[in-house]
Amino acid sequence: MASAYNPIYTDVPEKDVFALHFLQTLSNLRTQNSFSSPDNKTSDRVKKIKKAAYVSMARAAGATNRLWSRSLLHQAAKRNNKNVRFLRRKRRVTWLMRRRSNRGDPIEDVAAERLRNLVPGGGGMETSKLMEETAHYIKCLSMQVKVMQCLVDGLSPK
Amino acid sequence: MDLTGLKWLQQHQQMVSPEFLQILGSDGREELRKVESYLGNNIYDTIDGCISRTSSFQMEPVKNNEENRVIALGNKRKPEGKRETREKKKKIKAEDETESSMKENSNMSNTETSSDVLKQDYIHVRARRGEATDRHSLAERARREKISKKMKCLQDIVPGCNKVTGKAGMLDEIINYVQSLQQQVEFLSMKLSFLNPQLEFHINELSSMMADPRSFPLHQQGSLDYSVINSNQTTSLNALKMETSSNWDVHSQCLYSNLRTDSVSSFFSLK
Repeated sequence: MASAYNPIYTDVPEKDVFALHFLQTLSNLRTQNSFSSPDNKTSDRVKKIKKAAYVSMARAAGATNRLWSRSLLHQAAKRNNKNVRFLRRKRRVTWLMRRRSNRGDPIEDVAAERLRNLVPGGGGMETSKLMEETAHYIKCLSMQVKVMQCLVDGLSPK
Repeated sequence: MDLTGLKWLQQHQQMVSPEFLQILGSDGREELRKVESYLGNNIYDTIDGCISRTSSFQMEPVKNNEENRVIALGNKRKPEGKRETREKKKKIKAEDETESSMKENSNMSNTETSSDVLKQDYIHVRARRGEATDRHSLAERARREKISKKMKCLQDIVPGCNKVTGKAGMLDEIINYVQSLQQQVEFLSMKLSFLNPQLEFHINELSSMMADPRSFPLHQQGSLDYSVINSNQTTSLNALKMETSSNWDVHSQCLYSNLRTDSVSSFFSLK
């Protein structure tokens, strides 16, 4: 159901965008590991594919427009020891956490903490912002799952 | 907010103070306009009327900006239960009169429709505590309403959230849904890695995608693209044998330009 007045701005691009980005990241994986493919263990491969999926999802969904995508890319870049950006956010995090400690609706807070652990970049957000990010994140995740499902179905032996 | 906010206003006929309007911001004012249209342009009349009527309540000696709000009612509201215990009644000279009149009106308001009650002389108002905590409580209430609004949007997105009510249950559902989605991603990536042991995604994807039986609806276009991509496939296979990244880039460019055909979109649009 779609209400005419939706306070959360969640417009997620079409499946094609997600598909393109995912395939692009996968082929990048391929070029990186072109010489060492037989030696890969299963778990490494799985981790790489998973990381590729998340990174491509973050890029497809508008990389810098959303907090969760930004923090995802940030984490991924850190793991590759690339240059770390967005250092400015750390100061904002501490301020928000101080502010958050003053308010307390105990029912909300427990669940909000769990949600913050799940959604990337959730540690520095207020609860209302967290809800927006969760909505967008859920939509993007479901698109990514559909894309991957299509791929798997296409690739599985008939 | 729409329906619940309207019902809330309808049942309690709360006068909306100008400061509350400020806190609500532009979104809130929009909502108020909607409510106004729903109630038949009563609210703005009543707001103006309230401001003019407060003078008749003999509240002038205590008229500050913060205290120009609302006097406590006898109405019990579940979400405002907390705030009621904190509230104290202001010391207003005409308090007794207004209270008695309001009690009458409170009884009537619960049974009548909003449009009738709002046209009466006495408007129901509700007191906040003292000066300092007024702003805080108002801000807190505005914040809580914002959060509940957003949770309603989340409820629309997450399937199966309609049955559970209450914030905690809904949040648990949302958390479970996010966790399940993440597990699905992990599971599918495991499947993908098993299906493609050498990470040869590119060629396999194309050939399997084009030959997929589910792309039948775009038969004619699919066959055309197939021929094009076949020629590119062989060249890219040669490139793979050489395993030079430059060739790979060139061929990946061609392949990506082919990817942007209708057949691919049809492949991914079929569920």
